[in-house]
Amino acid sequence: MTEPGRDATGGSPESTEESAPHGETDPDDVAETDEATYTKEGELERTIGLTGGLSIGIGTMIGAGIFVFPGIAAGEAGPAAAASFAIGAVVALLVALPASELGTAMPRSGGGYYFISRGLGTLAGSVVGLSLWLGLVFASAFYLVGFGYYAIDSLAEVGIVVDAAFVVPIALLFGAGLTVLNVTGTENAAKLQNGVVALLLSLLVVFLGAGIADAVGLTGQSSPPETFAPFGTLPIVTTAALVFTSYLGFAQVATVAGEMKAPGRNLPLAMVGSVVIVGVLYVVTVFVATSAFGSNRLATLGETAMVEVGRHYLGAAGAIAILFGGLLATVSSANASILSTSRAVYAVSRDGVIPEWASRINLRFGTPHVALGLAGGPILLLTATGQVTVLAEVASFLHLVMYGLLCVALLALRRNEPDWYDPSFRVPGYPAVPVLGAIGSFGMIAFMQLASQLIGLGIMLATAGWYGYYARDVELKGVL
Amino acid sequence: MARVVVPVEVLEGETVSAGLVGLLAPADVTVLGYHVVPEQTTPEQMQAQFGERATEALEDLTEEFRSAGATADYRLVFTHDRDQSVERIVDELAADAVTTTGTTGTVERLLVSLTGDVAVGRITAFVESIAANRPIEVTLLAATAEEAADPGRIDAAAEALAAADVDVVAVTAVDDSPLNALVDAVPGHDAIVMGERAPSLSSILLGDFSERVAAATVGPVLVVQAPDPDSEVGPADDDSPE
Repeated sequence: MTEPGRDATGGSPESTEESAPHGETDPDDVAETDEATYTKEGELERTIGLTGGLSIGIGTMIGAGIFVFPGIAAGEAGPAAAASFAIGAVVALLVALPASELGTAMPRSGGGYYFISRGLGTLAGSVVGLSLWLGLVFASAFYLVGFGYYAIDSLAEVGIVVDAAFVVPIALLFGAGLTVLNVTGTENAAKLQNGVVALLLSLLVVFLGAGIADAVGLTGQSSPPETFAPFGTLPIVTTAALVFTSYLGFAQVATVAGEMKAPGRNLPLAMVGSVVIVGVLYVVTVFVATSAFGSNRLATLGETAMVEVGRHYLGAAGAIAILFGGLLATVSSANASILSTSRAVYAVSRDGVIPEWASRINLRFGTPHVALGLAGGPILLLTATGQVTVLAEVASFLHLVMYGLLCVALLALRRNEPDWYDPSFRVPGYPAVPVLGAIGSFGMIAFMQLASQLIGLGIMLATAGWYGYYARDVELKGVL
Repeated sequence: MARVVVPVEVLEGETVSAGLVGLLAPADVTVLGYHVVPEQTTPEQMQAQFGERATEALEDLTEEFRSAGATADYRLVFTHDRDQSVERIVDELAADAVTTTGTTGTVERLLVSLTGDVAVGRITAFVESIAANRPIEVTLLAATAEEAADPGRIDAAAEALAAADVDVVAVTAVDDSPLNALVDAVPGHDAIVMGERAPSLSSILLGDFSERVAAATVGPVLVVQAPDPDSEVGPADDDSPE
């Protein structure tokens, strides 16, 4: 401890004893079945099924890739933006497979943080845990700004023209609203989320079906052919780095691993399945969008370009459907990320990386109000910047660091398997898959804008600094 | 000895009435302390913070059952879904019955419903285990229409109970619905025993039959579980072919 006096005042007396946190990580005290976790003190029911897991993954991801990025991406890479999305999907898959193996070996709350702190030790774990919290905060802010654009366009569609300056205030209002709802709401929003995801998927299937029929020339007039990659190949990769934010979400499934029924089966299926489903939808969406208009025109339409694409194929009804879908999808992504943030905060606080009070629960609502506040507060600050691309890239940066280290953690655990390491799902194509996953994740970071790289690096250094200041005495490697 | 699970929402201050504790004195009781955790919170987090408080309350409740003469233990579950947890524990313990806590003084009169396609043999075996040789008057109730379809069912059950030293009377009720028949018969009784029914359209639309009965009465409602196909050969398997 850098300030010995602080322990005496009760600021964080437990961080040193947390090396075996509350005995919860002692293998003798915990028995796992498909239905529940039996600890010394009580039982923790597993209640989230495959549908729930897929809904968390898809619900988190779908908001960005379909409703915010197509216009921006087409402006940077032309029709080849479809390839950018495909690259993102491949990298996400290469990470989802190792993450699944780690998740089935350690089906506990905390996801990526938990795997890395157990596989690579406390420094890496602390940096990832805190970066994951902030990464989710950046992602939520990005979704909220996207929501703001859709709100403005929706108002315009019903005849209320509002200045674009209102994007950020509207986003802030909803961000605050979601945070308050999460602190006070005890309704079962999970069922609502499942419904929202099902509705979005059916809406997209209809829309994309119409778009494909048109684009391949079955209906309507044939569109003028355009060069696939008008700006060359480099923009394809930089765009892939930008739109990778569309794939942040599959690993959020792992943050609820401790609550998932039959995690050995459902966790890999939910993670890999959600990446495959959204990946296909993204590629098709960009193909349909760039077939409707040239990529130049799409670029000028910006964040809500898809609304005009909807209007092009299905008239006013199409535009309204996309507006409605965009509002739902961005809110659902933001909300899912806020929920994941509170679990990420809990995971680091449980291990003593941050003070224990951060995960305190109030009995009145049964919700972790401090952790939700630690999500909502910074989200509002970042939303206020209104910087879509920087928010997206920093979010990706922080997640990609975790993804890369997660692959490294898998390699480390496999090279010297501890006794407790017994995953029910093992990565096919080991060691190529985790090695490529790590290279792909770190490679993505290299192609980001300089500003995003600097911010991301700054945040990581700050988290490492926090570790040195507060959590140096926490020892977790190999502990389960 | 009959195994009974008593779910108690322990952190919400729910307790067990003295009458139910007395009624279950001859039984093997598991107090199932549960707490429903909102999805914003991990059950693990809830347990870390409130587990100790819940355990203390459960130990007290369990002690109450023990001092009344029952064999008792407790389980503590943090869950997002109450019904799933109760079902899992009932299956794990192969419990004979689940009861609501209800409010009642000493149970002197027990209403036992045979209404519906329920496991009559299991119900009578359960009633026998808690009411034989005790000052408890048992009223066996069945709906007239069902008796017409299966004559002698209720009388056979009453005879079997009487033979086991249970103070029993059989009644057939004429009413438009089984629920009303049961609810109308409640006044004058302190607790209800009924059988678990297979899910039906009305149970999906209106809620479980036993939940509706519990909502219409204040006393404890003990639901005898239908035989589980893959555990224990139920006592004297009966007319419900499952």
